[in-house]
Amino acid sequence: MKTSVMISKELLNQVGLPEVMQSCHCRTPQGKRLKNAARFFTNSSHDEFVAEITAIARLVEMVKVKHPQVLEAQTQLSRLRELRGTFSRLEKGRLLDDTEFFELKGALTIFFRLSRLKELMAEAGVDFQVTKDASALLDPSGTGNPTFHIYSDYSPGLARIRGQKKKLERDISQAKGNQRKILLTQRALVTAEEDKLEEQIRLQLGEKLQAWLPQMRHNAETCAILDFRLAKADLAVRWNGTKPVAVAPSEPAVLVDSRHPLIASILQKKGLQFTPISIKLKQGSTVLSGANMGGKSVALKTVFLALLMTQLGYFPICNHLETPLYDFMAFESHQEGDLHWGLSSFGLECVKIRNHHRRSQNQQGLIMMDEPCRGTNPAEATAIVQALCRTYGRSSSTFFIATHYNVTPAAGIRFYQVRGIRPEVLAELPVQKTGSESDLHEDLSRVRKIQNLMDYRFEEIEGSQQTPSGAIKIAELLGVDQTLLREMMAAWQEDQWPNLD
Amino acid sequence: MNTLVVKPGIELFRLTGLQDLQSLAIIGLSKNAGKTTCLNHLIAAWQASGQTRVLGLTSIGRDGEPRDILTDRPKPRIYIPAGTLIASAQGALQRSDALLEVLELSNIRTSLGEVVICRALSDGYVELAGPGSAEEIGCIADLLRNHEPDCLFIIDGALSRRSQAGAGISEAVIVAVSADTSSSPEQLAEKTDFALKILQTPSLNQKDKDLLLETCQCNPQTRVVIVVGEERTVTMEIPSLVGHGKELAKKLVPGTRLLYLQGAITDQVLSELLKEAHFSRLTLVADDGTRILLKPEVVQKLRARDIDLAVLTPIDVRMVCLNPTRSNGLKLDSATMLEKMRSLLSIPVVDLGPALM
Repeated sequence: MKTSVMISKELLNQVGLPEVMQSCHCRTPQGKRLKNAARFFTNSSHDEFVAEITAIARLVEMVKVKHPQVLEAQTQLSRLRELRGTFSRLEKGRLLDDTEFFELKGALTIFFRLSRLKELMAEAGVDFQVTKDASALLDPSGTGNPTFHIYSDYSPGLARIRGQKKKLERDISQAKGNQRKILLTQRALVTAEEDKLEEQIRLQLGEKLQAWLPQMRHNAETCAILDFRLAKADLAVRWNGTKPVAVAPSEPAVLVDSRHPLIASILQKKGLQFTPISIKLKQGSTVLSGANMGGKSVALKTVFLALLMTQLGYFPICNHLETPLYDFMAFESHQEGDLHWGLSSFGLECVKIRNHHRRSQNQQGLIMMDEPCRGTNPAEATAIVQALCRTYGRSSSTFFIATHYNVTPAAGIRFYQVRGIRPEVLAELPVQKTGSESDLHEDLSRVRKIQNLMDYRFEEIEGSQQTPSGAIKIAELLGVDQTLLREMMAAWQEDQWPNLD
Repeated sequence: MNTLVVKPGIELFRLTGLQDLQSLAIIGLSKNAGKTTCLNHLIAAWQASGQTRVLGLTSIGRDGEPRDILTDRPKPRIYIPAGTLIASAQGALQRSDALLEVLELSNIRTSLGEVVICRALSDGYVELAGPGSAEEIGCIADLLRNHEPDCLFIIDGALSRRSQAGAGISEAVIVAVSADTSSSPEQLAEKTDFALKILQTPSLNQKDKDLLLETCQCNPQTRVVIVVGEERTVTMEIPSLVGHGKELAKKLVPGTRLLYLQGAITDQVLSELLKEAHFSRLTLVADDGTRILLKPEVVQKLRARDIDLAVLTPIDVRMVCLNPTRSNGLKLDSATMLEKMRSLLSIPVVDLGPALM
C-alpha cells in the first residue's frame, strides 16, 4: 500500500484506516501479518481482487447465520501459533527441541481439522494440502494425543534405555545415603545415553519433516488467507458493509449512501445521524463546493475511506459501490496540520501537486484535495485550482476537489455542492443577541443548532454556480456586529460585481 | 517441638497444613535462604505420604540450576517424581533430565524463552524458570489447572524477590531464612521477627477495602487513593511512587483517614511524607505485606505518629525454614538459632536439614 497510496500518516489516521484495520480481528499471527501488509489491488490484479471479494461475500452469508463451520474454523485458527521461526530452523537442518515439534504437531492438527470443513473451504476459496503423513511422524503410535515428547516408539534402543532408567529411579526412591548417591550416578550415565539417542531421533525426525516443509508453508499461508477473509467478512457483517464491484478503468466510481463508520458511531453516541453520501466520480475533475460548516471535509474522508477500503479488499460501508481499480490514490488536506511545520506550507503543497500530476501522466489515479491553496492569495489560488481542474479534466485520472474558489466550467469538469441550509430556513432563524461579553455555552449551542439545520447531501449542479453566500448569514446569526456585517456585505458585492463602478 | 530436624511427612504436613492447600509460595528473606531445599523437602514429603493430588511447580525467576549463576557455587537441584506438572522456560527445560511431555505453550516469554507447561513422565532433575510477574503467575496457575484442576501449585521464589510472591497469588507462604541474614542468633531472630510482622500485616476492614477497590476500579490508572473523613476520596495518577513523594505529600489534608499506595512502599517514598505534619493518625494501606519494604526505624517513626499499617491482601505464613549454613559454606549452630527464633516467633520454625539429592 505504501507506494500506491499517497497520504500523510496524520491524514490517514483522520480518514480512519488504522481504526478500520484494528476493528478487523484476525486470530492468527499469519492473518495479522497479511492484514498489516495491506495489499492494494489495482487494475492489473483485477482477477485476484474479484476472487478476494467474491470469497468474502460468500463468507459473509456464513458469518451472518453463525454457521458451525465458521465457529469451528475460528476456534482452530485462534490456536495457531507463529511458525516462521520453526520452519526456518527446520529448513536450515537445525536440531528442533520438543516444544518446536509440539508446535508443528499442533499446527498439523489444525491444518487437518480445517481441511475437513469442506463447505467453508470452498466458500472461502482456499485449499489445504494433505499432510497426514507428516502428522503421523509426530504421533508414532497414532493416539491422536495433542501432547509431545520423544516417544519410546521411535527406537527400540530408546525404549530399552528408558526401561533401565525407570528401574533405577524406583530404586533411588527407596535408597538413602551412599547407596542413593551410587544409584544417582548410575542414572546420570543412563540419562546421558538416553540424551544421545534422543538427539539422533530429533535429527532424523527433522529430516523427515523437512520434506513436508513446502506443504506446511502452503497450509500456514492458507490459514492466513482464510483468517483474514473471515475477519473481513465478520467486519462487513458488523458494519453492514457492501460487496464492491470493480468496473472498467474508463467507468466512473459510484458511491451510494456511503457512511463513515467511525464518525457515524461518534454521532450516534450523541444521538445524531450521519448523512450518507452519494456521488459519481467520473474520469476528469469533480469540484465540490458548498457553505461553511457543510461537512465537505467529512464527505471527502468518507469517499476516500470507502474507495481505499475497497482497493484493500475490504467491504466498504455503502449501500452500493462500484469503482475502477485505480493504480494509485492520493489525498491531500491542509487541515491536517503539517508535520514539517516551519517549512512553507504552499511549497510543500506544490511538491505534492507536482508528484501527483507526474504520476497521473503514466498511471490512472484517484487524486483528492481538500481546500488546496488555502493560504495563498485568492487570485493566484483561483488560477491554480482552475488549472488543476482543467488539466485533470483532460486526464484519465479522477480528480476530486473541495474548494471555495470559483472554478469556471470547462471540458471534463463536473460540479457538486453540499445542499447546506435552505435560504428560506436560514432567513427564518432569529439573529443572536449578544451582550458585550460572549457566553461560550450559548455560542456553542447556537453553532450546534445551525449545524443541525444543515443538509449534508450532495447535489450535482450545472456549471459553477455562485458560491453560496451562507457564510455571511451564519456570521449574522451568530451575532456579529451590524457594522462589521455591513462591511462584509459591501466587500462581497464588490467582489461579485467588480466592474459596476 | 523438641526435634531440631523435622522428619519429612506427617510432621511437615501437620505444621503447614499442606494437604489442604491449593497453592503455596516459598519466599526467601535473602539469597541462598534455602528455598530450593525447602521445596525438595516438600516434594519428598508429598511423595512419601502417598498424596494422590499432583504437584504443579513453577518459579518466579530461576531455580534448580546446578550452580549459582552469580557466585558459581553448587546449588541444590530440584528432583521431581513422575506425574508432576511443571511450568518452565524452554531454555531451562533443555537442562532438565526428567522425561518431559509438552502439554501446552503459555505465550509467556522469559529471558530463557517461552514458559512451557509439561508433565514429567519419569522422575528426574528439573530446572524451573518461570514468569516474573504476579499476573503471569496467575495465568500459569490457570494453565496448570486446565490439566490438573486439583493440583497443589507451588511457586518457588528467587533471589529474595519478596515483592513478587504475594498479591494473592498463593493461599499460604513458607518463608526461608538463612544465616546469611545474620550470623548472630539474636539478630537473626529479631530480623526474621520484623520481616514476618511486615509480611503478615493485617488486613484492612472490609468496608474500607471495598471503598478503595471501587475507587481503583473507577480510576484504573490511579496509584494513590487518599480517603478524607468517611468516604471522600482523592486519587492520583502517577507512573510510580518513587520520585513523587513531594507531590503526594502536598495532597495530604487534615482529616486524612486512609492512604493507599499501590506498589512498593519504600523508605524513600515515606521520607517526603514524614516531613508533612498531616501525615499522622491514619492507616497506611499496601497491596500486601511483600510491598512494604521499610526499615525498622521507619516503621518506628510511623508508630510514633500513630500511623497503622494495613493491607488489601493478607499473607498467611505457615512456617519458617531455617538454613543454618552461610553461603560461604560455614555452618552455624542450628540449635541456638532455632531456640532464639522460636522464643520470638509465633509460627513454627524448623531446620529441615539438607534434602536427599
